Amino acid sequence: MAPVFATGAVVANGEVRPVAPEPPAIVELIGVTRTYGSRAAVDQVDLALLPGKLTFLVGPSGAGKTTLLKLINREIRPTSGEVWVAGIAAHRLKTTRVATLRRRVGVVFQDYKLLPRLTAMENVAFGLQVVDLRVSDQEARERALDALDAVGLGNRGGAFPNELSGGQQQRVAIARAVVAQPPVLIADEPTGNLDQETALEIMDLFEDIAAWGTAVLVATHNIDIVTRHQRRVVTLVDGRLVRDQPEGQTGRMAWLALS
Amino acid sequence: MAGVVVKAHFRRHHVVVVVASNLVRHVFGDAARSWIRNIGSTAPALGSMTLLLFMTGFVGLMGFALHNLEQAQAKEASLLHVYLRDDAPEPDVMALKNQLAADPRVAHVIYVTKDQALARAQSIPGLPELANASESNPFPASLDVQVKDIKDVGAIDAFVRDNGVVDPLYPTSYDKGSYQRLQAVLLGAGIAGVAFVGLLGFVAVTVTMNSIKAAIHSRRDEITVMQLVGAPRWMVRGPFVVEGAITGALAGAVAGLVTFGLAMAGIAGASGSFTQFAPGVTTTVAAIAAAIVLGVGLALGSGSSMLSLRRHMES
Repeated sequence: MAPVFATGAVVANGEVRPVAPEPPAIVELIGVTRTYGSRAAVDQVDLALLPGKLTFLVGPSGAGKTTLLKLINREIRPTSGEVWVAGIAAHRLKTTRVATLRRRVGVVFQDYKLLPRLTAMENVAFGLQVVDLRVSDQEARERALDALDAVGLGNRGGAFPNELSGGQQQRVAIARAVVAQPPVLIADEPTGNLDQETALEIMDLFEDIAAWGTAVLVATHNIDIVTRHQRRVVTLVDGRLVRDQPEGQTGRMAWLALS
Repeated sequence: MAGVVVKAHFRRHHVVVVVASNLVRHVFGDAARSWIRNIGSTAPALGSMTLLLFMTGFVGLMGFALHNLEQAQAKEASLLHVYLRDDAPEPDVMALKNQLAADPRVAHVIYVTKDQALARAQSIPGLPELANASESNPFPASLDVQVKDIKDVGAIDAFVRDNGVVDPLYPTSYDKGSYQRLQAVLLGAGIAGVAFVGLLGFVAVTVTMNSIKAAIHSRRDEITVMQLVGAPRWMVRGPFVVEGAITGALAGAVAGLVTFGLAMAGIAGASGSFTQFAPGVTTTVAAIAAAIVLGVGLALGSGSSMLSLRRHMES
């Protein structure tokens, strides 16, 4: 069976090479503006995230990074423009339907947001069972332990959050975010509370998750991580998307001077 | 994480059991645990709602009794006694009786002879002495006219009192003001009762809403996580509605028992006077009232929770 190629082609060294079609964007922001009073936190942003790609979202404090993540997770609505997430129109999604979208978006925070009265395994399983009551205890436990194993904590499932280091707690939070296999993962300063070595480990984990097919968007201030990974970098300044560098081309970033 | 976690395969015969088990744990179990944990902030809500529901039951039973009393009075008031002259010719009396019976406003007419009037008087406490005081029968014959609508009694009274067979000195027993006075008293009592229960209801709902607000605050981390992972709205809000319903059900159960117990004590302790004081209030009626109080408690508790959730929980 003949492979399916895109209609376009690239001419290189005199040869015409077929190009595989890019998968459709799993997250798409079209002319999105979000204002608070007279101030635009996000201003006319166009952005597309592809499955299997890790993207860094950078910018100085107050640039609108968190607002942009909240728009994707439909914690807030855009003042104007369109937000599409896994085929769902988040910009016009009714409040009663928000859960449908959130099941397609895993979220990781700087402060982990683990429930202290539950063990690591229970924290991950909780995220499964409250979303789908059909998941039995045994199945939830198995899937939670698989997810913990995948983030390197397979042997700490019985530990409570206060018995884990910051990096381990963040791994549990990541396991909880991805256990239901969402097509999109967003992370807001996930390494903000971690030392550099642990931060790099966490970022490697995000790389792995992206490699498995998830679109990952990480908002961060950590310069070393961004430069080390050489992935796509989207820069926001004063709510405007001022630079969109493709992967492998992360050079000197003007925004650092502003941060 | 695609490829790492095995996708769920639900076996149909297990699904119902699993869903029920998760529902009990995550909605009812969480609600019960939270209710016990927040008992300090729930106690005022429980107290005020119990008082409200007891007063609702009490006022409801009294209202029912007064309604029965009013119905009895209305029936009595719409019964017009037309007293006849002792020397009234019987054909004329029968003519008047037939004329009244043919009137569409009249339900029925009964002719009471002097002897029947005497016999009736002797059965009424206090009247036998009067009946026996005279050698002759002092009680007149009468036509007892049951009027369909009490509003028409005055017109019927005006129609008959000038008839030749009717006693000119004491033509009828109709007191047009008595029923209206009773109605006015009952209306006033009803308005006062509803206003009092309404005020208590406002207090109970406000206090319950505040207790649910405290419960939401104490579980805000859990709520945040549930919302972030995409738990359905009913799953996030359900435990709080159940928590309010627990408060309402407990308050309703206590208030219902007290209401039922008081009614039973009244019926057992002073049956004769109680029946006169609260006509129609029987064991069955008291049990129904207690059940209604319980139901109102459930509805009020869960309703207050829903109001509180609308106000205090973000989507």
